[in-house]
Amino acid sequence: MKKKILLVEDEKALCLLYEEELSREGYAVTAVTNAEVALAELGTTAFDLIVTDIRMPGKNGIELITQIMGLRKDIPIIINSAYQSYKEDFMTWAADAYVVKSASLDELKTKIKQLLGD
Amino acid sequence: MIETYNILSPDFERDAPRELMLLSIISQSFFQPFSLEDNLLVILTALTSGSGVGFNRAMLFLKQGDRLKGEMWLGPRSAEEAGLIWEVLSTPGIGYVEILEHNRALVSKNQETLSGRLKGLVYAADEEGALIPAYAACRKEILLVREAASEPLVDRRFLNVIGVDEFLCIPLLARDDIVGEIILDNAITRTPITPADIKLAGLCGLMAGNYIYSTTLHRKLLDMEKMAAMGEMAMFVTHQLRNPIVAVGGFTDQLLKPDIPEDKKRRNLTIIRDEVRRLENIIYQMGHFLKVSLKEPVYFDPGPAIAAVLSSPEILTKSEGYVLNAKLEPCLPEILCDPTSFSEVIRNLLDNAFDATPAGGTVSVRGYRKNRSGFVLSVRDTGRGITNPDKDQLFRPFFTTKENGMGLGLTFTKRVMDTCGGKVEVQSRAGKGSLFKLIFLCREKELTT
Repeated sequence: MKKKILLVEDEKALCLLYEEELSREGYAVTAVTNAEVALAELGTTAFDLIVTDIRMPGKNGIELITQIMGLRKDIPIIINSAYQSYKEDFMTWAADAYVVKSASLDELKTKIKQLLGD
Repeated sequence: MIETYNILSPDFERDAPRELMLLSIISQSFFQPFSLEDNLLVILTALTSGSGVGFNRAMLFLKQGDRLKGEMWLGPRSAEEAGLIWEVLSTPGIGYVEILEHNRALVSKNQETLSGRLKGLVYAADEEGALIPAYAACRKEILLVREAASEPLVDRRFLNVIGVDEFLCIPLLARDDIVGEIILDNAITRTPITPADIKLAGLCGLMAGNYIYSTTLHRKLLDMEKMAAMGEMAMFVTHQLRNPIVAVGGFTDQLLKPDIPEDKKRRNLTIIRDEVRRLENIIYQMGHFLKVSLKEPVYFDPGPAIAAVLSSPEILTKSEGYVLNAKLEPCLPEILCDPTSFSEVIRNLLDNAFDATPAGGTVSVRGYRKNRSGFVLSVRDTGRGITNPDKDQLFRPFFTTKENGMGLGLTFTKRVMDTCGGKVEVQSRAGKGSLFKLIFLCREKELTT
């Protein structure tokens, strides 16, 4: 059975890109563009991994992670951000990996594989 | 019963004690938008003007790094010039603005002026065995020097420049640091310096020292704010540029794969084109923000400018599906602002109002007089409103709640309003809408015949 990834990314073009590329890798991807919808999805589906952006309108990625930790501590989380600097924010340390967005998706794909034990 | 008095214009009688007149001139000048140099010139003027302490000449050294450097020297070069200057300065009703204008010429960089002769004098500010004038600064003591020619502690080069036998050295202290020194003399009238003169000049020195200190601190603070803003800008630009670059790179990689169907190829190319346009727009907006310098505000009729913005193609397009209404009171006064910036500010506020309001909502523009000298232009929307944490950050550069906003519109608005002496007020309730009020200085329209 395909492993399920919840992808949270407010940029529509990037959301589409990640969804397609991760699906191609063999994952079942649910892509959403804000944290509120992500939390609703988490209530209905047992995801194996979450990839989230940080700077998003409404609830940001760090607030989302805090809430996820309260719901499901066991789920691996990858932060995928355009900002290098958030790495220094200790709130992001709760995530299992931090990837700075890049035109090459190799690093993101590798981290996902590692965390899912593929 | 309560009586109120204006802080900035204590009108002293002409026969008021000269000490009060002097302190009034100096302290009022600190509240004017003068530069540090101009305000120091006001202090020198006060020390040498008829209504001030009444020294003939005042020389200013400022500390730069660990050196005291001759900066300005104010005073007449001859008895004839003295008569002319003092006549102007003792004109009844003359204020510091006029004095400043008059004296700027006297301390111009022209080598023929006294200031020109002073420029070459530089002393170590904290050296053991320093000579006068630096000696006073090193000891942090006021010195009255008499028979200077026979005093071995006086630097000979300085003596040649000043050319008098009696002078007063006032070190300028800020907390415990030396920031400069003022030298005063009576080269023209040759009257002796009295203990009362010394006390009053010492008081001026304290004010000057503290003024230099607070101005320097303020400049440092502004620099730090600029640096912080630059850091924030760099971070914001990185993010703004990285997202479209990732999209362009990612979708290009997909295009390079052999099995890509024709419709997906076309879709990817469209996304790439859109993202490149977005990059172009980011670069354009950044360039615009960085280079934009505000023009001097002038009084003008805001009516035509508001009408032009409301009927511009971009606002007409944006307002489709909304109720846009405008109500301006008849006979608008003239408002003080740069007209170009004014139009841009209105456009920004309308843009924000439409962006924050769901289709079908209402955006209202109102223009009315608040009082005799204040005109309010307001933009109200029935949109999502602003949350309390966001309210505190509204005017911060690069703060935005929009998906593709740059966060520069309200920063620009605040800058424009600050430049023209106006104000921005914001009222907002989350879920109910926002009201932005711009309050301009205004005056009645000038009648043209």
